[in-house]
Amino acid sequence: MKKATQLALGILTSVGGFFDVGNIATSAQAGASFRFQLIWALVLATILVIFLVEMSGRFAAVSQKALPDAIREHLGFGFWFIPFIILTLTHLLILGAEIGGISFALQLVTGIKYSWFAMPVALLVWLFLWRSKFNTIENSTSLLGLITLCFVVAAIAHHPPLREVAAGALPSLPTRDPAKYWFIAVSLLGSVLAPYLFYFYSSGAIEDKWDETYVGVNRAIAFIGMSFGALIALGALVVSGVVLGSRGIEVDDYQQAALMLTRAFPYWGFVLFAAAMGIACLGAALEVSLSMAYATAQTFGWNWGEDLKPSKDARFSLVYTAAIFLSALIIAFGVDPLKLTLLTMAINAAVLPFVTLPFLLLMNDEKLLHKQKNGWFSNAVVVFVTLLSLVLAVVSIPLAVAGGS
Amino acid sequence: MALHQFDLIRDILDKQLVDKDEKQMGRIDGVVIELRDGQPPRVDHFELGFTVLAKRVYPRAAAWTRRGARQHVPWDEVHEVTQHHVKLDVDAEKTPAFDWERWLRKHIVSKLPGGKEKDE
Repeated sequence: MKKATQLALGILTSVGGFFDVGNIATSAQAGASFRFQLIWALVLATILVIFLVEMSGRFAAVSQKALPDAIREHLGFGFWFIPFIILTLTHLLILGAEIGGISFALQLVTGIKYSWFAMPVALLVWLFLWRSKFNTIENSTSLLGLITLCFVVAAIAHHPPLREVAAGALPSLPTRDPAKYWFIAVSLLGSVLAPYLFYFYSSGAIEDKWDETYVGVNRAIAFIGMSFGALIALGALVVSGVVLGSRGIEVDDYQQAALMLTRAFPYWGFVLFAAAMGIACLGAALEVSLSMAYATAQTFGWNWGEDLKPSKDARFSLVYTAAIFLSALIIAFGVDPLKLTLLTMAINAAVLPFVTLPFLLLMNDEKLLHKQKNGWFSNAVVVFVTLLSLVLAVVSIPLAVAGGS
Repeated sequence: MALHQFDLIRDILDKQLVDKDEKQMGRIDGVVIELRDGQPPRVDHFELGFTVLAKRVYPRAAAWTRRGARQHVPWDEVHEVTQHHVKLDVDAEKTPAFDWERWLRKHIVSKLPGGKEKDE
């Protein structure tokens, strides 16, 4: 019974972790600029993320170590030092983008400029983490996160041309504006394969005290949760394609993205978009902050845990505190949240090799995983992601410069 | 499960250190072995601290860090070595490994709402 509850919750949480500011931005852009043509990037990213999330959970359940913990221990500080610094900076940017997303959602409903909301939002995120336990955070944000299903409802209500949607699931070459096309494709991959997802998920498995008997539960959560999250992102992409793409509205600003629900829900569309965006970004902001604190505490071997009082793990708690307020500064200084998000998604794609290489090494360690180590198929997937990520690492930043504006 | 044989670099260096109550108290940032005439070398002590880490990444960086930030853990304090940690027979709160933790607790965390130890 306990496992069934955990399964349901795990699915909800992973939906929350999947769908965030990056998915909203990239799906809206992809749909508005290329209608359904980029669905393949979302499908590809989803298949890859299912495998990687399953591995992070299986690794934690069997070895009883979260990922950053095991990377430092078995691959050494020398190996981990540079990736750790780069991933920490990436976390700060993602956190800034999520705080920007919440702030922009507030701008949509109040009309007051987003940069004014950055610090109050940061305070809210911080208070949430400072005062509550891991399960409270998991459960409350994931239940509220169901509001993002409005994108799926809207997509169905528009009766999109299914043949064209299905055709989009197969990769095709752009007919125009290739730099923008590939930039959005890379950003879509980066938005789904966000590094924080894996560190958060594997540390969460330790917080929830998973053991080897959770391997099956973990597999189900990874598969159902990630597919469900992808369905919401697909919904957003389709709605954007139907509503914005057909009218030639390009998304240069979240304000335009917010129009996408107004045709399916004439009265509520705008507010619904703001609510969905605010809640999805809040859930993600909590996960990103925790992921950063987990990774730092584990890297240095400090005592950590969201269930401990801040006075019991001062360093852990102060890492997320500093991260939240630092990232919020980016938004408070008026950096455009959408531009920050899209740039960050390209960076996500660029840093992917740092995330995938340790998978390849650790998931084959018999001493740690015994019978649960990777089979040939999972390894083939990791090798594929690693090769793909090496290509992405090279092309994503130039593409962000060429196609990002 | 206590291990009896392990790889010094793979399994001991960078391993999690815990105190007698299994509270995490840092990682083994350095292992110092002693070479002895006619006998196998033996592990003399572990080292902890940012200075040790800095030295591993960039030797000159160690000079920039605070002197004395290096903590020695003699082998006598080691209670057990398992797959997951090296357990010491000490109270982490009373060791230099918790210097920062204690300082931050006293000067920052306790001044924030809900940060006092009695707020349990």
